[in-house]
Amino acid sequence: MNGNIWVLASADSVAIATTLILAALGALFTERAGVLNLGIEGILLTSAISSFLVADSSGNIWLGLVVGSLVGALLAGIHAVLSVVLRANQIVAGLALVIFGTGLANFLGKPAEGKTVTTLIKPLSFGPLSDIPLIGPIVFRQDPITYASIVIAVLASLYLFRSRPGLELRATGDDPATVDAQGLSVASIRIRYTLFGGLLVGLGGSWLMLAQSAAWHQAATTNGVGWIALALVVFAGWRPMRLIFGAILFGFTLQLPFTLQAEQITFIPSALMQMLPYLATLIALIALSRPSTRNKLGAPKSLGIPFVRDER
Amino acid sequence: MRSPVRIVFEQRSETPKHLSVLVPLLSVVAALVVGALFLLATGYSPIETYSNMLSDGFTSSRGITDTLGLSTVLICTGISAAFAFQMNLYNIGGEGQLYLGMIGGAWVGLAIGDRLPTFVMIPVVLLVGSLAGALWILLPAFVRSRLGTSEIVTTLLLTYIAASLVKHFVYSPGSFFVTKNSAFPQGRLVPDSASLSGIGNTSLYPSFFLVILIALVLFWVVKKTEYGYRIQVISDSPRAAHYAGINANRTTMSVMLISGALSGLGGAVLIVGPFGRLDPGIILLGYGYAGIVIAALARNNFSAIIVSGILFAGLRSGGDKLQISTDTPIHIGVMLQGAILLFALGGEAFRRYHIHAVRTERATQ
Repeated sequence: MNGNIWVLASADSVAIATTLILAALGALFTERAGVLNLGIEGILLTSAISSFLVADSSGNIWLGLVVGSLVGALLAGIHAVLSVVLRANQIVAGLALVIFGTGLANFLGKPAEGKTVTTLIKPLSFGPLSDIPLIGPIVFRQDPITYASIVIAVLASLYLFRSRPGLELRATGDDPATVDAQGLSVASIRIRYTLFGGLLVGLGGSWLMLAQSAAWHQAATTNGVGWIALALVVFAGWRPMRLIFGAILFGFTLQLPFTLQAEQITFIPSALMQMLPYLATLIALIALSRPSTRNKLGAPKSLGIPFVRDER
Repeated sequence: MRSPVRIVFEQRSETPKHLSVLVPLLSVVAALVVGALFLLATGYSPIETYSNMLSDGFTSSRGITDTLGLSTVLICTGISAAFAFQMNLYNIGGEGQLYLGMIGGAWVGLAIGDRLPTFVMIPVVLLVGSLAGALWILLPAFVRSRLGTSEIVTTLLLTYIAASLVKHFVYSPGSFFVTKNSAFPQGRLVPDSASLSGIGNTSLYPSFFLVILIALVLFWVVKKTEYGYRIQVISDSPRAAHYAGINANRTTMSVMLISGALSGLGGAVLIVGPFGRLDPGIILLGYGYAGIVIAALARNNFSAIIVSGILFAGLRSGGDKLQISTDTPIHIGVMLQGAILLFALGGEAFRRYHIHAVRTERATQ
């Protein structure tokens, strides 16, 4: 067995983890504020195609990333209005967003069919560092957004657990009545973090398009990554640092089918191999919901419950 | 408070009748307006597109039978979603359960279809398909009732796994489900004994009436039986149910299994009806996801699902034909589905609350 390909596979796992980290961080911020946004998959797809169309027509991939991220925030805004302002059922609202986003992305994507992004986001090179065996390709040959995603996760952790607004954010998800009693607006906090979450998800979707996928494959472009990201938040116990490791782990299962195919390891049929990431996520979710571990996970206590002051 | 006026939500004790009709109606209109904006922005004529959709989906005779034919499977996935949703169980993996229904139905049809007459085979295919759908939700149902694992993500992840399973059964060499020695991999047609023919050479199959009947029976079960009452109590107040000695775990299990079986039935209906074979094309159609929209729009009312199912079938079949006749992207149909649901959800607030603006001075309570 060729050792080199497994180094590349590990490097790929870290790269693929970028979308997972960004999308899951977006979901994490939203959920920490007490809003459950199941629409991640729809947001990823719509921001992916938006970034493609902008990058393709302007020739500027960075502009694509910016517009894609903003589109993510815009779609999350729909969810914020429905779930925070109008107090709709958040689960159904999220699902509606997935269906709307998928339809919208496919509709917008018609002119993109059969085209590829001409310039991709390229990995950085750190000269000799990038050539170190084993560590070089994994650590020192990623693209700027991959590094940025890990930095954002670290900053998110500091923000959540070491800052005053982070404390307010966590309190909003756990005990909104107390936050309200402090004279802060629960609705405004929830709307802001839902929008910010959408921005991160949008960045993740745009990166997936402009660095990883390169061509528009309709709904198969994201292929359920948004749902894996949602499971990842549970897996990470709503903590950004754990999320990085979880994302790399899930990233590994996502790229494994391709590596095995490239290695011509075919004792497991490829269609069955493609189940692996979903199966791994499923098993992780079930294992984590044993009653003994559930309480330690730390789900925001008011997740998905609208805050209504007047009716108390 | 910074703003001089404040929006106040006042819970309605009773919903005015006219709002129950007006809100869904206005959400459809609002979604069509949003769709029109996107059509205009991308250079298509909204009027032409919509009038084509209307005639292809509803007003031509071919359109009506196509719509009713398609509604058969959509009503299945709609009642499947609603049956779970009414107990706050969010089975959103109806899509995967539908695939399993197709696999199960095709399997039994191919395995024993040659040996049995039609009047035995049709029920057998529908039954095995339903069982396969129930099987696919068994694990989420079990971990939900025993460990409290959220069924939302588990049922959805299983949809992706089911999609791989369909591809595996069609694309792996020498599969039981495909035609031997065919130039390209294609599902094998089930024997005649396991397939119905369309009424009067249309794409409307007799299974449509069976599905309508099931929807009406479920309507009765929920409203009139002790089982339906139990579901109602658990969803309204789990604690009250507990004190009343209702076994919520067992009800959770059974409700989810029935929900899975109904989506499975949708897959089996495609085997005895229009598809007749295991076809990986199903993965792109999203009939299971549409069921969620249909159920939510009908607010989990089983008789209203028949109406919303037919409405959505028209939207879809009209949308699907656009691509062929006018080169408009077919996805406008799916997009409109999502938009209608989003507006309906927003409109729900106006149904439940009396919303009005007041001056801040008077709002201090």
